[in-house]
Amino acid sequence: MLPTRSRLSVLVFLLPPLLLYGAAVLFPILQSLFLSFFSWNGISDMEFIGLANYLRMFTGDDVFWRSFFNALGYLAICLILQLGGALFVASLLTSLRRGAELIKTLYLLPAVISTVAIAFLFVRIYSIDPVGLLNQLLHWIGLGDLERAWLSDVNTVLAAVSAPEGWRFTGLYMLIIYAALLAVPKELEEAAILDGASRWQLFTKIRFPFIRPVWITTVIMATTYGLRGFDIPYLMTNGGPGQSSELLTTYMYKTAFTSTDFGYASTISVFIVIECLVAVGLILVMLKRKADA
Amino acid sequence: MKKLFRTAALAAAAALALSACGGGAASSPTNVSPTGEIKPREISWLLSRPADGAVINIMKKLAADYAKDHPGFSLNLITTPDRPSYIQKLETLAAANKLPELFDTDATPFARQLAQQGKMVDAEKLLKSLNVYDSYRPGALDYQRFDDGSLYMIPFQFELEFIWYNKALLQKAGVAVPKSLDDIPAMCTALRQAGITPIAIDGQDQWPLERYVAYQPFRAQGPDFIQKLKKGDAKFADAAGQKTVQWLSSLGKAKCFQDGFSAQGYSDAQNQFTSGQAAMYNIGTWELPSLATDKLNPAVRNDVDFFTLPTTAGSATAANEYVSPSGIGMAVNAKTYDPLVADFLKFALNKYPTEYAATGALSPTTNVQTTVPANATPLYKKALDKANDLGTKQAMPWDTQLDPTTNTRLQQELVLLVQGNTTPEQFTSTMDSTIAQNAPKFFK
Amino acid sequence: MTAQAAPVTRTISALPSSSPPYRSRRRPSLYRTLSKTLIILIVIVQVYPLAWLFITSLRTEHDFATGDPFALPAALTLDNYARAFQTGNLGLNILNSFIVTMGANVLIVILGMMAAYAIQVLGFRLSHLVRGLFLIGIIVPVQIALVPLFIDYSTVNLLDTYQSMIIPLAGFSLPMSVYLFSSFFEYIPRETYEAASLDGAGPYRIFGLITLPLSVNTVVTVVLVNSIFIWNDFIFANTFVLSEELKTIPLGLQNYIGAMGKVDWTATFAAVCVTITPLLLVFLVLNKAMIQGLESGATKG
Repeated sequence: MLPTRSRLSVLVFLLPPLLLYGAAVLFPILQSLFLSFFSWNGISDMEFIGLANYLRMFTGDDVFWRSFFNALGYLAICLILQLGGALFVASLLTSLRRGAELIKTLYLLPAVISTVAIAFLFVRIYSIDPVGLLNQLLHWIGLGDLERAWLSDVNTVLAAVSAPEGWRFTGLYMLIIYAALLAVPKELEEAAILDGASRWQLFTKIRFPFIRPVWITTVIMATTYGLRGFDIPYLMTNGGPGQSSELLTTYMYKTAFTSTDFGYASTISVFIVIECLVAVGLILVMLKRKADA
Repeated sequence: MKKLFRTAALAAAAALALSACGGGAASSPTNVSPTGEIKPREISWLLSRPADGAVINIMKKLAADYAKDHPGFSLNLITTPDRPSYIQKLETLAAANKLPELFDTDATPFARQLAQQGKMVDAEKLLKSLNVYDSYRPGALDYQRFDDGSLYMIPFQFELEFIWYNKALLQKAGVAVPKSLDDIPAMCTALRQAGITPIAIDGQDQWPLERYVAYQPFRAQGPDFIQKLKKGDAKFADAAGQKTVQWLSSLGKAKCFQDGFSAQGYSDAQNQFTSGQAAMYNIGTWELPSLATDKLNPAVRNDVDFFTLPTTAGSATAANEYVSPSGIGMAVNAKTYDPLVADFLKFALNKYPTEYAATGALSPTTNVQTTVPANATPLYKKALDKANDLGTKQAMPWDTQLDPTTNTRLQQELVLLVQGNTTPEQFTSTMDSTIAQNAPKFFK
Repeated sequence: MTAQAAPVTRTISALPSSSPPYRSRRRPSLYRTLSKTLIILIVIVQVYPLAWLFITSLRTEHDFATGDPFALPAALTLDNYARAFQTGNLGLNILNSFIVTMGANVLIVILGMMAAYAIQVLGFRLSHLVRGLFLIGIIVPVQIALVPLFIDYSTVNLLDTYQSMIIPLAGFSLPMSVYLFSSFFEYIPRETYEAASLDGAGPYRIFGLITLPLSVNTVVTVVLVNSIFIWNDFIFANTFVLSEELKTIPLGLQNYIGAMGKVDWTATFAAVCVTITPLLLVFLVLNKAMIQGLESGATKG
């Protein structure tokens, strides 16, 4: 704390950001909570219906539950691709002597392309008729049996729409983890190697524990972005076929802006907010406990 | 902090209540020929049509002409060609009570609510007062009507939907043009055996597949079925409903549509047909410039032809009755309707048909002759002529009829049904319960 | 969820060391060649789509429709670019995106820095609560604000303005900016401030003379990371903007959608190439500063 600070100076610095943040983020959340107790289609009169929306969500809406589990699946795949991929590539990069800078830049490129373009690109890659890149590759390496219409198959579509999102932001997380890995003291690593540690042991015993704080941040970032997923499934399949790639966010959006059921959409919003808070809480508890153990 | 939150929540409540009240208030019944001075100003038209298309180009030109005599007038055209985004925009603007002078909408349940609240000018009275009502094709107006026969939207197009086919591919598979809808599954099987994709369909936009669910009931019962179904008065479990469910399921089993169709877009589907890979393609006359001119791939140009929707045994509707939409309609906002809007509409609606017909498209009116473009193939004329030989009934696309929640669910379930991911029984029970749950809110 | 993800992650990262350790240490070249090949493969996967996008924008419409979309084009053409400029309003769209991106970035940087300064440097009793409040913004998805903001905007007449896009874009990016700045401020040694305080500098002068000049790298990082999201934002622009004059790039791309959903894809790709160029250039020029900023933010956790 600065010795010369005053109550006024704190307010001067804190109030403008809080005002913007309150108007754009906190207030709308409260409004959603408020709306969730009403039935309202935008043009009729609002009707207070108490907990009826919540009751419908938890007991009478199969699409809601389907979307909820899809969202979890989507999150899992994004996390594996983004964090696993990031950790893997970052580890590889540490063994490189030259060119790391260039590769870092190239690796970040997909994040710059708009989701509209990415969605269309991946629709082409997954296509079967005409044969897309993925099916062609499978054919070449002799796995022709696996060829399929990835986006039309109810069993593969969720993975297929998750992959582009994972792919897009791997670079960002890789950078963060790479920087953390570089900061691992060389003496520690050398000492471990002298003790005869394998590469795997080096990683689990020295490197990973050292980057754990960064890892927690990255996991939280990736989780919250994963739970926000919207554009790519919305643009690629619009939640289909059936509800196989419907996420909570896309379902909420459709409920609000296609079905004009603003009350029920707000109920789903409230659920999403709580879901996100719980997810982050769980991560913190789990990762912190592991660190203490 | 807590106090702050409570204040905020109250403010939120107040803001919402305010806008809700604004939304609920009905304006006074409108006089279609308002008296008073014409005061030129800018008026806006919120529309969902191609940014560089004929309607927008013509209306821009007409507005410029009108502005010459009425300095200060301008027409601000706000287009959102992507239909789902457009509908979102329209609905949110309606909720905010911020609709512009003119706006596009289909005859959806949502639009009907707007009309019932007195937010739209009665288009029938308006067209009659402008002395143009009788020049419109009855079918073009009927397409825009609500179930009770009232008319609140003005059409700017007139289209006919055909099933285009490739003669050479049908011949190769040894099949003929289907005489009945029920012939199609067997036809698909034969085409598949010959290594040909039977039907190219745009699965991504979902409305094309939804057309297919409408065909059998339209043949069996005419337009009544969907009007009853959407209110819950008819069911998919009924005989006519089961017929269409079973038929769609058999289309799926016969692999009528290209593999992975649900992820393929509009252009993909058309490319499959125009590159000679697919034998049939169901699309309307708005594609005449791509399918019946020298723009069409030369390799298939001489093989392409079309047939209209086949009938069925004992069909209640005739062969010359099928889907003939007049496109999304234009509604006139009652709140902002004044002598200027009335005068501009009078000017524009009188001049529009001539200009529109000159672009080679079918006008929604009968008082002009469509110009066949110089680069047209004989099919162009053949397609246009069909417009003079239409029956009195027309098959309505279901996406303009059902309430939005049911419509979304139907689109999703249809894909599953055709792909064989659900059984006809599951489909029937899911859809009937969805309608029972959602229809009452919209059709009280 | 994480319990599920973590073990898999480990397995993947274990791959490169699957060969016995002693051998790989005696012959480090094998390990190195392997990692090099893998890195090259991965880079191809990352860069290929961008290249594909560019090549497709040079294809003829006919070639795109009938040919193999992944083969090299039979002929190159600039027609798509001509059509893109003719149909759309690309210049205006880019200008609008620029205004929105800059507007939001100014707010994000200045307000983020101010909040971080208050929380991290000045410090106050409820700073933990404020930090927690900001965490909510990182966690909740932006979509939840759409309906309420639309209603609010229509009551205060903000619909269809630049502000209607800038406010939520800045609001939702603010927490990450606060977080990045405060982890950077943590690194400015206490003594610097104490010395300045002894010299009689108040909180405003310290902010202007010490904190601000030192934060340049972090500013670049915050601006670049946010620009990527804001430049491509579709959802807020689509909900709040109506008139042609205010359309940003993602909305402008919709102008290539014709009747009933027909899309002129090659022109769209040409437009995409044109519209990502400014962002790409800035990114390539400033990426070193950005990477440094991210890395320094990262190493502190």
